[in-house]
Amino acid sequence: MNRRSILKQITALAAATAFWPVAAHAEMAASVDEPVTITFYNYNLAAANAGADATREMIAEFEAQNPNIKVEALPVVVSDIFTRIQADIVAGQQPDVAQLPFRDLIYLATDIGANALEDMVPEAELKAHLSSLIPQGLELGRYDGKTYGLAYTFSTPILYYNADLFRAAGLDPDKPPRTWDEVEAAGIAISQKTGKHGFFPGAYGPVDGTFVYQAIIMSNGGNVRDGNRVTFGEGEAAEAVVKLRQMVDNGAHARIDLGSHADTMASGNLGMFLYTSALMASLQKSAKDKFDLRVAAMPGFGDKPTKPTNSGSALFTFSKDPVKQRAAYELLKFLTSKYAYTVITSKIGYLPLRTDILDDPQYLGEWVKQNPMIQPNLEQLDRLTANVAFPGPDYRQVERIMMDGVREAIFGKDDPLEVLAIAQEQAQALMPQD
Amino acid sequence: MTTIAITGPGSAADGLPVAPRALAFTARAAVPWLYLAPVLLILAVWVYLPLIEAFQLSFYKWNMLPTAPKTFVGLENYQRLMTLPDMRRALWNTLFYILGLLPLSVVLPLAVAILTQDLAGPLRNVYRTLIFLPMIVAPVVAAILWRWLLNEDHGLVNHALSGLGFDKIGFLIDRDYALGTLVWITGWKLIGFSTLLFSAANAGINRSYVEAARMDGASAWQIIRDIRLPLLSPTILLITMMTILFGAQWSFVYINVLTNGGPLKSTTNVFFLLWEYGFETLAAGLSSAAGMIVFTGFALIAFICLKLMRRYSFHDN
Repeated sequence: MNRRSILKQITALAAATAFWPVAAHAEMAASVDEPVTITFYNYNLAAANAGADATREMIAEFEAQNPNIKVEALPVVVSDIFTRIQADIVAGQQPDVAQLPFRDLIYLATDIGANALEDMVPEAELKAHLSSLIPQGLELGRYDGKTYGLAYTFSTPILYYNADLFRAAGLDPDKPPRTWDEVEAAGIAISQKTGKHGFFPGAYGPVDGTFVYQAIIMSNGGNVRDGNRVTFGEGEAAEAVVKLRQMVDNGAHARIDLGSHADTMASGNLGMFLYTSALMASLQKSAKDKFDLRVAAMPGFGDKPTKPTNSGSALFTFSKDPVKQRAAYELLKFLTSKYAYTVITSKIGYLPLRTDILDDPQYLGEWVKQNPMIQPNLEQLDRLTANVAFPGPDYRQVERIMMDGVREAIFGKDDPLEVLAIAQEQAQALMPQD
Repeated sequence: MTTIAITGPGSAADGLPVAPRALAFTARAAVPWLYLAPVLLILAVWVYLPLIEAFQLSFYKWNMLPTAPKTFVGLENYQRLMTLPDMRRALWNTLFYILGLLPLSVVLPLAVAILTQDLAGPLRNVYRTLIFLPMIVAPVVAAILWRWLLNEDHGLVNHALSGLGFDKIGFLIDRDYALGTLVWITGWKLIGFSTLLFSAANAGINRSYVEAARMDGASAWQIIRDIRLPLLSPTILLITMMTILFGAQWSFVYINVLTNGGPLKSTTNVFFLLWEYGFETLAAGLSSAAGMIVFTGFALIAFICLKLMRRYSFHDN
């Protein structure tokens, strides 16, 4: 072996250890005894709504309780947060904790080197904390039997509706639509009688991800993939899209700017809006004294039970240093504590991932009584279905081709089934081979 | 790069003894290279190395992660670009952007510059400031202002349209209008810049030509056609070339903020596509391949433009 190839191996080894978790069971420090600073990439902070204030409040409280730990919080827009972390890791700036959507879960675990909590935290300690959280929620951040993401803020799609527009269109606001056929009828009535927009889902815009779309097609019995085979262009999945297209054609489903649907709802120009409950606090603020905002569970296809998928995020840790790992874990524990979920649910609108605080007057008890609008979201929690992420190195391209196809099928002029079939074929070529 | 710069042409190799005269010659020849070295180095590091790397990457499949392997795929990236409808549509749209921008970046500013030349004192400055103002508005701010103005439900423009009895137009939502709207916003930002350049060139024209023509009884139009336009031709050709080469790039911010390439990709162009492939879907190979196609195309166009410029521009001595 000559000198050059040895050198090559050394650099390769160095590169490998720099990006992979050093050893599977390198446990974190028992406590933080000296001041330490950890970074926290957060997307709620980057949005101009109630989420940012609530997050700042929680971080301040955490720092007050843990004087040795300083949290350097970086606001990053949700659509950029993953590429930002990837770029920073490449640049040698190891993030410690990050709030990331579920779409990148597999990739974060296999390629980016997110820590599995089972490898980082002593078993008994981890069990003690996780046992108080909802198992369906925890499942969402698991890959290959290990918890890489600790489910943090999340929500299911709920139907916001403008009761004033319902009345103006001659509809009964106390009987919100429960099925897609009823949404269609109400949408047509609103657009014809009031001149405003009928229905719109937050499913196609740049920051919407895929969860509302997935919730709709899954409620019809479809799915975006089956193992390594993409299936969004066939069967019940395609049927659901055809229904949306039909609603666009008959005017029930609006054609508005995909990126500013929430503004349209907030300004009172949209009758029904299917979107994450995370917008609850912000929409309530906009609607106050202007129109009667109400919420209902997401609509279903006929009698089929709906399958609300989750939006939202998990907390991932990337620290390699044992002391920072401990600090990161303390932050994770704090942000999923009874106190934190009280803030998250009451001030932002996400679901509480622990049901033990719902009846507790010290935490959410009073608030739940005063805010019946959280009920549809709580009811949907039982049927929560995990958002499906795509596997393989090209997963983002697959997702893009799928959403391009869906938009084309719903808003375009061509036969929706044909459009979806072509998109499915293109996407399949980028999936891992079995 | 630096080694070439320092030794330069005419240096003695092979370790042969060098005559003092030859040495002096070498040193003198090296001086210009030394002056050029920083620029050449920057060019090499920031332009040519990335270019070579992009060329290499275009034959690989890689998602930009240091831990992920780069797989050699030969011409597959290029083949995929040819079969996917994305690239074709983006190229057509790019052409539309360029053609649509030309009137806004050349014809209109030229007319404004010539017509305001003879305006008196403060009026001219007020007028030119108004024209120039859009240029100094930050692009993202401009984009958001236009989004509000053009909003279908509560935008001022649609308010005015319905006040005049017209139907509302979804400027950014309707795919028949969105591309035209983005061309307008990009062009609107450019008018000021072009007007500035044309005004400067126009003011630089020797007044004695104009006076001589007037004495010979030339009409105002004849002066513009036979004196001003020929003398402005280097600037006209320069701005035309800049619009052709960079126009579609200038629209990137507005596409990114306002439409994300939609509705249904009607506003995407090759530069947005490159970014989307590379940084949204992390397909470095595909993005590089698209980049190489764009680079080759625009290099050819630039070459032709330069030739035409040399041939058709008229310089006053």
